[in-house]
Amino acid sequence: MAPAVASFTENVISVRDLTFSYPGTAVPILRKVNLEVRRGEFIALLGSNGAGKTTLAKHFNGLHCPTSGQVLLHGRPTTELGLRELAKIVGYCYQNPDHQIFSSSVENEVKFGPRNLGLTGEALASRVSEALAVVGMTEFAASNPFVLGRGRRQLLAVASILAMDPELLVVDEPTTGLDLSGAQQIMRVLGRWHEEGRTMVVITHDMDLVVEYTTRCVVMADGQIIDDGPTQEVLRHNDTMRAAGLEEPAVVTISDRLSRFGSARCKSIADVVADVGAHMEAEHAGRL
Amino acid sequence: MPVGYSIYRETGSNIHRIDPRTKLAWLLTFFVLSLCSNNPAVLAVVFLAELALARIARLKFRDLQAYLFLSLWLTILSTVIWPAYIHQGAYLGRVWFVDVTSDGLLYGVAMGLRITIMIVAAAEWMLTTSPQWLTAGLLKLGLPYRAGLALSTAIRFVPFLNAERLTITEAQRARCAAVGSGGPVRRVVNSAPVLVPLFSRAFLTAQSLSIALDARGLSSGGQRSSLINLRLSKADKAALAAAVLIVAAAIAFRVLGYGVLVKGEF
Amino acid sequence: MTAAIEVAGLWLAYPGADTAALRDVAFSVQRGELMLIAGPSGAGKSTLCSCLRGLVPNTIVAETRGQVKVAGRQVLGPEPVPSSDDVALVLQDAEAQIIGMSVEDDLAFGPENYGVPAEEIRARISEVLDLVGLRGLEKRDTYALSGGQKQRLAIASALMIRPAILILDEPTSELDPVGKAQVLEIISNLRTETSTTVVIVEHEIGRFASVADTMLLLDHGAVAAYGNPASLVSDIELFERVGGERPPPAAELARRMRDARLVECPSYGLDLGRALADIERELESHGSCSR
Repeated sequence: MAPAVASFTENVISVRDLTFSYPGTAVPILRKVNLEVRRGEFIALLGSNGAGKTTLAKHFNGLHCPTSGQVLLHGRPTTELGLRELAKIVGYCYQNPDHQIFSSSVENEVKFGPRNLGLTGEALASRVSEALAVVGMTEFAASNPFVLGRGRRQLLAVASILAMDPELLVVDEPTTGLDLSGAQQIMRVLGRWHEEGRTMVVITHDMDLVVEYTTRCVVMADGQIIDDGPTQEVLRHNDTMRAAGLEEPAVVTISDRLSRFGSARCKSIADVVADVGAHMEAEHAGRL
Repeated sequence: MPVGYSIYRETGSNIHRIDPRTKLAWLLTFFVLSLCSNNPAVLAVVFLAELALARIARLKFRDLQAYLFLSLWLTILSTVIWPAYIHQGAYLGRVWFVDVTSDGLLYGVAMGLRITIMIVAAAEWMLTTSPQWLTAGLLKLGLPYRAGLALSTAIRFVPFLNAERLTITEAQRARCAAVGSGGPVRRVVNSAPVLVPLFSRAFLTAQSLSIALDARGLSSGGQRSSLINLRLSKADKAALAAAVLIVAAAIAFRVLGYGVLVKGEF
Repeated sequence: MTAAIEVAGLWLAYPGADTAALRDVAFSVQRGELMLIAGPSGAGKSTLCSCLRGLVPNTIVAETRGQVKVAGRQVLGPEPVPSSDDVALVLQDAEAQIIGMSVEDDLAFGPENYGVPAEEIRARISEVLDLVGLRGLEKRDTYALSGGQKQRLAIASALMIRPAILILDEPTSELDPVGKAQVLEIISNLRTETSTTVVIVEHEIGRFASVADTMLLLDHGAVAAYGNPASLVSDIELFERVGGERPPPAAELARRMRDARLVECPSYGLDLGRALADIERELESHGSCSR
């Protein structure tokens, strides 16, 4: 699937002075939040539960409307766009796949989203088969989704949103309740999707996956953004990490401790070892 | 629909402390009283007695607001409709195609008051009795334990299922599902994306719940104790006796023809 | 001294299933110990927990062989066994195990089933709420609790029956890091301050292996490894073979460094600090040797 036609503005989402409280309540969940989401980024939205991550993300596709401030999608306020226009650009994948799955077959489930966007016939069928191929579930097309395991249901939920071909994908805690192989499977799918030119926003607590896949981290606490920058930098800001209740991933600790032996800011332990190995060889060769 | 388990609000009044069985008896008493008369003056007195009880229970206007407005609406409707059927009493004039009589209007008012008394009685009962005490009362009256547990568990999961419904609706709206729009037939057809996940979540939760119930000893087979111990105090017994007397008197008066404004009508 | 839990030759198959859910599982847990059970999804961890709680065959229908002895009683058998208040089970889904409308009601449910008198129940309530950090929330409606609070309430309710053995099935999987840390603290306190035997199923091996006395790794229903956590977690090949769990970073780092012939340090389990210190020292000495 090729990405959508290039748009005029560089930024997919612009959040300007966003304040939000639920209608009828006085307590603000988000307080004067400012954020720019640029095309092609893979952003991790971090923070403890109640910090406002999900509430912020739900403004991107118009599920929430600002109490004050603006949320712009390619320069246009989300409040002025219809549900279909928003859904065409921004896909939102919920944490629990059981909140979405309702069809009698995997294929029908994946068909639902694109059909709502107006696709029919050949175009619809090819969209569905492509989405199933991306998540590796082509052989399950006729299966009953309710008998699949949690990992496969998660992949199905992701596929049904991918089939809508959004430019920006928001994924809420994709790895909760999955074991390591399930988590890696999902993240690989999201990583490949991102490499094809899409923008990703992932809400997660899994710091190891944040280091491995994301390019930028936005840290939230108490309804505000307290840190925002490249992943490798934000993860080393101890004060904001602690304020948000986040732990430094092991690979960051290791990378820094062994930096004088050549490890650059690595994404995985394997990379650390490779860097150190290359550095030691170079040193050794240099001395001969 | 309450956000929580019920509209119950603790105010620390004496009414709140009364045994739930006594309050249930008084709820039924008010129902009987409202049915035993069709004289608006009599019914108005009964309604004022209800409001006096609300005062003793330290309830605020805000607690009963919605129910009072609903009742007002229904009373107005009733006053307008009944004159089309009741033609006794002094002739007052012709409105549209209806001959309006004084008794017709008064009967309409009486029927409105009757519904008002019932609605407000039920509301006051729910405002002063917590669901836990209600279930305990029913159990003491002979409801089997598992039925009482089923009742309280159902109440316990209402807010959860409501929250699930909202999340599911949101998730499907994000997939551009046309939920909540269109004509009645369309709405039913479009409700599958919300109802199916809701049912599946309910079933999965129920499965886990049944394991949890057994894991926590539901089928242990021994004698069960209770944190809530209900005892009828002297005041309770007096109140129950009063309720019985009042019901008997009301029925007697009705049979004898007192408190009836419009003869021949219920 | 008899062990708190003794499992021998446990074999279990659900009706209509192709393969057995548990195959020849055997282990024991001494009184007051903490055992960590790990393994990929579908390995049989939850099934094992249900067996230990005595839910098979009372609540969960399955064909079984072997012996499961918990607190001195056989809990597995063809005939239903009356449930006892020696063992408590905390499930993964906090929502589905909260039965009461208020915190107090939920805490009372367990002891009520076993006929504990009302005054005793009240005394235990404040004690147990202190243990899990929910003091003062007796009258709170349960639907108004956060996810972390719900899970802690579930643990508190389990502790209300003063069990000799507490089993927890992935209690932190739906929680954020703050919630996970709170549960870990409660478990550690239980271990140090009481003689409760604890069995906990967790994916976060690194977090819990440091407080566990013994560890069991399940794979497709069979025991892949059983023994001392520190030595078990340093076996990287084991984790790669079984899959489903992330090996502790210290172990992975040491193994990869050794494979790349950069250092000759021993295996490390959980102590990342020591691993890094030793590796640094070796790399420095290699550097100076080349001069």
